[in-house]
Amino acid sequence: MTLLLVGLLILLALLGLPLFVALAGGSLLATYNAGLDPAILAVELNRLASSPHLAAIPLFTFAGVILAAGGAPQRMIQLFNASVGWLPGGMAGVAIASCAFFTAFSGASGVTILALGGLMFPMLLHAGYKERFTLGLLTTSGSLGLLFAPSLAILLYGIVAGVSIDQLFIAGVVPGFLLMLMLGLYALYIGRKANIPRHKFSVAVLAGALREGVWDILLPVGILTGIFGGFVTITEASACTAVYVLLLEGVIHREIHLIKHLPVLLRDTAVLVGSILIILSVAMGLTNLLIDAQVPMKILEWMSLHVDSQLQFLLLLNAFLLIVGCMMDIFSAIVVVAPLILPIAESYGVNSIHLGIIFLANLELGYSTPPVGINLFIASQRFGRPVLSLFRAAIPFLVLMVIWLALITYVPFLSLWWKQ
Amino acid sequence: MLLNEPRLITGFRHALIRMESFMAGASLLMLLGLIFGQVLARNFFSTGIPHAEILSRYMVLYVAFFGAVLAVESSKHIRIDVVAACMKPENIRRLQPPLYLISSILCGIMTWAAIRFWYDDWQYAAEHERWSSILALITPFGFSLLSLHFLLGAVFSPAKVNSES
Repeated sequence: MTLLLVGLLILLALLGLPLFVALAGGSLLATYNAGLDPAILAVELNRLASSPHLAAIPLFTFAGVILAAGGAPQRMIQLFNASVGWLPGGMAGVAIASCAFFTAFSGASGVTILALGGLMFPMLLHAGYKERFTLGLLTTSGSLGLLFAPSLAILLYGIVAGVSIDQLFIAGVVPGFLLMLMLGLYALYIGRKANIPRHKFSVAVLAGALREGVWDILLPVGILTGIFGGFVTITEASACTAVYVLLLEGVIHREIHLIKHLPVLLRDTAVLVGSILIILSVAMGLTNLLIDAQVPMKILEWMSLHVDSQLQFLLLLNAFLLIVGCMMDIFSAIVVVAPLILPIAESYGVNSIHLGIIFLANLELGYSTPPVGINLFIASQRFGRPVLSLFRAAIPFLVLMVIWLALITYVPFLSLWWKQ
Repeated sequence: MLLNEPRLITGFRHALIRMESFMAGASLLMLLGLIFGQVLARNFFSTGIPHAEILSRYMVLYVAFFGAVLAVESSKHIRIDVVAACMKPENIRRLQPPLYLISSILCGIMTWAAIRFWYDDWQYAAEHERWSSILALITPFGFSLLSLHFLLGAVFSPAKVNSES
């Protein structure tokens, strides 16, 4: 009977039942089977609310929503174009750098493709890049800054897994830049091969772009200095970021009208945050019930019979997470899968911070893979191309990302250099 | 099959959405004010805002619940609709009422569980902690709103909250 109900819930979820409802159903079923009072699910919800960094999620999201609605995308493109656009493959490099910067703030919720894709697409075509390359680049770049502070995915992983968010921020730096470098080198190769004409470097243009974009560039510097300098906590940094961004877009650049636009921006933030945190609130109960029922231990027992080494485990983990990334969106995957994998990974000696980076990197790849890669759907909507042709265009980038994933999985030093 | 929505219900839903949008926005602003105020108070006045930590904890829940309720009306909840992605749009539309009805029932059960937890908490709360128990009402209230919106969506259709309104 229980199996039948679980199967029914999974089927309903696949048909489009909101994930949090499916998880709530699973939680209620689990409490019923364990002979527990379903009121303990509300206890878990209260426990979640007392998580020290939880408030950072709505506030960083708010900052991202304001930046997206204001003129930050244009200013970023202008600045990166003036500074690296003159290099071979420079325009593609501009797309990579702008998307990475923007995704770190917008939380890879598809806003990057919507906000930057529309601007970069005609610019890249005009520069002489082929449409297929351009589409592939913009589709995969939509999740590029996922490992950079203050990415929503890192915050969520830190809260769910109970690991240090500060350490995750440091651990994500080298893998994040490594991916940007690899994609940049590929863009350089394509630029050279297609003989893309380059524009001249101009100090005057760079100075003008710097004047416009300097306040945006100071943002990540300020956040990292504040957190790692010990001046503010992560939650306080998120509040300072939101206030700074409000002043930046509302007072300095005047891209948003604080009275007219604020209610819509607040509501958009609440919808985005609500759709993620409600999953977290019901999933916490379910995963804890599964942990109480020793499910990870049972998986571990089975795995210890078939998986002998850490290397084997990491290979299996990559394969599993790639499948998860293809089937689930990143936020639900973090909430549902991370707590179950953590104890197993620890038993194989995988560092919890390194695991976080591997976890997020796998899901970053999943963003651009069918059937539910959200980048593919948003890019399809934005550029008016079928999902499959976008997937084909993204394949060279995905191959590079798989190589990158293998590097960061099997060379832990890239994520943990600061611990040596 | 979805029914035509009577004007009374339409008015009620719009009023509800306006209230929820206001509450979500006000909670987010209050959360921002509390945490930023704490930074200022600590660094410039060597003090703190009383009960700021507890209040901000609840404000996150308020943003989350009212945001989740608004996400129902704008169909923005996260789904793993792998099967639905391969279906025709009219079949997906046909599936909506039963899925919303199931969602309404499950959220109703969660409401009941949350009420029971809240009532226990209220009974054993010390007199000076009662104010935070009142704030904790957001959990049953939030689930009941979710249940109501799913029910309205099952009988009629989601009320289409767009970014411009």
